[in-house]
Amino acid sequence: MENQIKNAIRKLLEEKTVDVAIGYGRVGVDGAVGAIFVTKPEDVERLVWNSNCRQNLAVHLTRPEVKALGKPAIIVKPCDARAVVTLCNEAQIARENVYVVGVVCEGIVQADAAGNPTEKLYDKCLSCLAHAAQNVDLLVGDQAKAKELDETNAPNAKNVGNQAKLAKLREMSQPERFAYWKDQFSKCIRCHACRQNCPLCYCNRCVADKNRPTRIDSSSSPKGNFAWNILRAFHLAGRCVGCGACAAACPAGIELDLLNLTLANAAEEQFGYVSGRELGQAPLIGSYAMTDKEDFIR
Amino acid sequence: MSQIITLDQLKKTLAEKQAQGVDIIAPVLRGELAFFQHVDDLEKAALTPRVRFQNSIKEFFFPRHETIFSFVRQGSDVQLTDAPEFERQQIVVGARPCDAASLPILDPLFAWDYQDRFFQQRRANTTVVSFACKETDGHCFCTAVGGAPDGTAGADAILFELGDGSFEVRCLTDKGKALFAGKTSESDKTGAACEPPKIDFEIKPIADWIRNNFSSPVWEEVSLRCVGCGACAFVCPTCHCFDIVDEGSYSKGKRVKNWDSCQTALFTLHASGHNPRGTQGKRQRQRMMHKFVIYPDKFDFNLCTGCGACSRSCGVMFGVRPCLEALAQAASSSEN
Repeated sequence: MENQIKNAIRKLLEEKTVDVAIGYGRVGVDGAVGAIFVTKPEDVERLVWNSNCRQNLAVHLTRPEVKALGKPAIIVKPCDARAVVTLCNEAQIARENVYVVGVVCEGIVQADAAGNPTEKLYDKCLSCLAHAAQNVDLLVGDQAKAKELDETNAPNAKNVGNQAKLAKLREMSQPERFAYWKDQFSKCIRCHACRQNCPLCYCNRCVADKNRPTRIDSSSSPKGNFAWNILRAFHLAGRCVGCGACAAACPAGIELDLLNLTLANAAEEQFGYVSGRELGQAPLIGSYAMTDKEDFIR
Repeated sequence: MSQIITLDQLKKTLAEKQAQGVDIIAPVLRGELAFFQHVDDLEKAALTPRVRFQNSIKEFFFPRHETIFSFVRQGSDVQLTDAPEFERQQIVVGARPCDAASLPILDPLFAWDYQDRFFQQRRANTTVVSFACKETDGHCFCTAVGGAPDGTAGADAILFELGDGSFEVRCLTDKGKALFAGKTSESDKTGAACEPPKIDFEIKPIADWIRNNFSSPVWEEVSLRCVGCGACAFVCPTCHCFDIVDEGSYSKGKRVKNWDSCQTALFTLHASGHNPRGTQGKRQRQRMMHKFVIYPDKFDFNLCTGCGACSRSCGVMFGVRPCLEALAQAASSSEN
């Protein structure tokens, strides 16, 4: 599969279909895998694909430094592909201005304290029902295998991984749940790694950075931390694609993906809406339908 | 002869201090992750050397959020009340040698043109007990910046885990001696730290390259994958930038200091809309300049202890060591 990716990218660069390919390569220490930006066909050998490719590269599509390199190709896992779709649906990128190379992903492994890969899959992968990336220009990998994995996960998808963790939280009493999040947020240092690593946190000026007047305390105090983390979750309601980039990047290990999953579940249960599933789908919060449940619509 | 203390005796010693009103700060496991935090019950403390902590002991000297003064406004009258003096005593136990080493590096900064009582009082009132390292990982590079797995800078005492439920105690200052006086027993056992980390670069030529290559395109290239959050700075034991903001309402509130990071675009954004560090490359250059050129020029210390916390916490696998290695490559290819 790695070779298929390399060949595809080499061809795209040689034929000048794209100017830069955003892919995974060995960066950092101990063979860690992270984003690399390949602009020359001879450099495609640096590209890698393995179960340690945990970053969502779609975050780079809206970075001005990357945009300056020209038209991109991007390697996406199925969850990352949904982020690209949502970026298109929210008019942040034009679909024809990016070449999307999707992969069949068999699951991404968690990193240990030193950042080295373990054997354990991410929670989000345990409930994954789409092992082949959708809405892509080119899909690499074994589609039959993807279908098989989808079918294996299907019966239990709502009872494992993050869904199981969330179900446990929902069983708590309201004061217990409040205490749980109070403890989680007390670890927050307000570095905003969650926001910066999120492909859908692309606001030019985040409300947390507004200071005339200040909308949210920038302090790492209980008030500031609650305001920030809850506000971010709400701003991702009906938008989060569940890639888990926020939780993976959080230096304090806050279970941010559970907050987002709560709202994603609500969007699906109440409106049958899954962010990033279809190109051209109107944003949930930015649209209405006469069939919506609330009477005030009519 | 060496001095040793059992883990139980160490906990008892700390508990006695706690009973006398001293705050104890020690590693606590929250899930699988270890955090330095105030402990009420010593049994909750995870007192063993480890490579990774999610936070630095920095925050007990330079808190993430600290009040400078509070204000109350009544009509045209404004009442200001200074934040109270820091009068508590505290003991930080279990620090990595590279974490403790940040304290003497920060001392001159907080006692330079402005005498920062917030830092100075905490520093004076704190005893630091470090644990010599038992292992290193690929992020560690203490020896490149003058440290060692058994480095003593910034610590009042250093403990070596002996593997039999006890530690060898080496007191380094009067504060350390006062803490352990009468608590240790003589032994012929001595502890040793692990081997130093493997490093294949030197700081000096990289610092020279940084000094002479302010406009190099290398900065943008190496920083392309950085997404501009503050994680590296906030977990760093030496990064010390802060923002000053007012919180509260028109009539009542406080002026506070909050940690800030040069890696965010907002850090240098002018009111005009102009940003002198408008790209991530310029921001990364600032970070490396500050650590390896500006700070050593001014205070004779690298602003880095080689602890590796930045790269361990980085969402995009960047950080000081990966950056230094990339710059070392640039430096060697510019020589050839």
